Amino acid sequence: MQKHEHWRAADNRIGLAFIAPFVVAALVFMVYPVLESVRMAFYYIDPLNPDGQRFAGLANFATLLGDPLFWSSLRNAAYWTFVSTILQAVLGVGIALLLHLPLRGISIFRGLLLFPYIVPTVVIALCWQWMLAPELGIVNHALRAAGIIDENIYWLSSPTMAMHSTIMLNVWKYTPFVTICVLARLQTVPTELYDAARVDGAGVVRRFIDVTLPQLAEVLAVVVVFRTIWTFNKFEEIYLLTRGGPGTSTFNLAIYSFEQSIANLRMGVGAATGVVMMMMLFAGSLLYMRIFRFQEDT
Amino acid sequence: MTPQARARARRWVGHGAAYVGLIAITLLICFPLMWALSTSLKPKAELSTAPTLVPHAPTLENYRHLITGKSQYFADGSTGYQPTTAPPQYFMQWFGNSVLVSVGSTLISIIISTLAAYSVTRFRYRWRMAVPYFSLLGYMVPSIILVFPLFMVMTRLGLTDSLWSLTLGYVSTTLPFCMWLLWAFFRGIPIELEEAALIDGASRLRVFWEIVLPSALPGIIAAAIFSLIVSWNDYLFARVFMNSVDHYPLTVGVMLFFEGVHVDWGLMMASAVLMTVPMAVLFMMLQRHLVAGFGAGAVKG
Repeated sequence: MQKHEHWRAADNRIGLAFIAPFVVAALVFMVYPVLESVRMAFYYIDPLNPDGQRFAGLANFATLLGDPLFWSSLRNAAYWTFVSTILQAVLGVGIALLLHLPLRGISIFRGLLLFPYIVPTVVIALCWQWMLAPELGIVNHALRAAGIIDENIYWLSSPTMAMHSTIMLNVWKYTPFVTICVLARLQTVPTELYDAARVDGAGVVRRFIDVTLPQLAEVLAVVVVFRTIWTFNKFEEIYLLTRGGPGTSTFNLAIYSFEQSIANLRMGVGAATGVVMMMMLFAGSLLYMRIFRFQEDT
Repeated sequence: MTPQARARARRWVGHGAAYVGLIAITLLICFPLMWALSTSLKPKAELSTAPTLVPHAPTLENYRHLITGKSQYFADGSTGYQPTTAPPQYFMQWFGNSVLVSVGSTLISIIISTLAAYSVTRFRYRWRMAVPYFSLLGYMVPSIILVFPLFMVMTRLGLTDSLWSLTLGYVSTTLPFCMWLLWAFFRGIPIELEEAALIDGASRLRVFWEIVLPSALPGIIAAAIFSLIVSWNDYLFARVFMNSVDHYPLTVGVMLFFEGVHVDWGLMMASAVLMTVPMAVLFMMLQRHLVAGFGAGAVKG
């Protein structure tokens, strides 16, 4: 990255004029909502009657801590995030290695790869619902035809299966993200390193462990932190497939917050959940900042 | 077998295995939508028979229902369905709403963040590095936190249930990553040309318009595509902000097809396909930019 010479300090006024719209938009659409949600966490708020707010102190947080559903949502979110992220990382690296091979026509495969990322979550959720439908769905049909199962699997209406079905959706949609990042990095690994390893008699596996993995370590760390944070916060990927059900077995914190705010009309409790999520997010971001520091001149 | 022949044979097998893997992955990626397409072309009776990928009697009936907007749905007189709750005749209206809202919020985000990215990378003032830091933090804030405070604001402004509330609401999610991506991109644009033009006496605005914008175009396009994708795909904001059925964007509208007693899978898959088409077209046209954007936005540029 080349270093820029900042010249002509005199026309800084234009610079400030150009940044002004961003500052206003950021204050209105990003800073304000976050601060407001922190404030809301300390109030009793009924969304149907926004002017009748009462100060609640820590009552909303007390409600959270005393609610078994909050704790099970947190556990679900942790499990969902952990399994999804691991699968995405492993599959993402594997696919990136495949796509890095010097094969004919490889660019077609590379091109297709990003496709899941652009498909609306609503669409994937509908497709999954249809494919996983117990009686008519293609998945159960295929498994029955292959003789693997005798009785239909209830992919979305038994608690464990529902959890893993949403994980599948999440992995399907976001593995490409990992692959693209890893592939970009792979293309910058100096080939001399491989040549040297080959001269030393290293086989494919040794070359992967000794050369490729250390080179990928940094980008993988960044990607995993990102994916962990984003996966933890996901709402639609679960809600659209299972609505948090059956029962409350696939609730995560985002769905819990949504249900408290919309179904129970307790926006304060919903906001308090958001504050808890933000605290976790903040810890994650600190980790991220530590892993890679900005190299920009200050 | 000579050593060369053995090496060649081994490479052949290796490549063969790689192709098998690649094709398997491609099938996994494509199957859900291929299946949706296939289902959408089947007449209703065929859905309950043993499924085949190629429809026996392909029909465009489902698409006709959605596009012509007539409520032929259950028009044969059966009573299991109330055509006022989730009528396919709103589909085109929802489609239009989605287009308006995602284009609108993308325009706003792109204009604001292009100006800001130029400012941050070409001028020197205190706190300017706060902009990319802040954007990075901003795009990790979950939407579920932003949505309710923004909803309260929209209520106060009297904007709930209007497309404006969505257009503005999406700015809160699209702006941070447009900003981050464009910042990374502008940093990489060599500055010499601009400098030369300025020394030759061109004005700042002219340099910005004639030199900087054209060279930043790939980055701007990448950011715009991402922004379009995010706002087109959103469900949460629309679900919270909108009340009346003719103001819904596609995502919330199409989910209404689920609410009835009968789930018409053919109709649902047809709407899934139609909903994906604009994004797929964008994707094919601008794939290279998209990949570039991924590189700049996700891994540090």
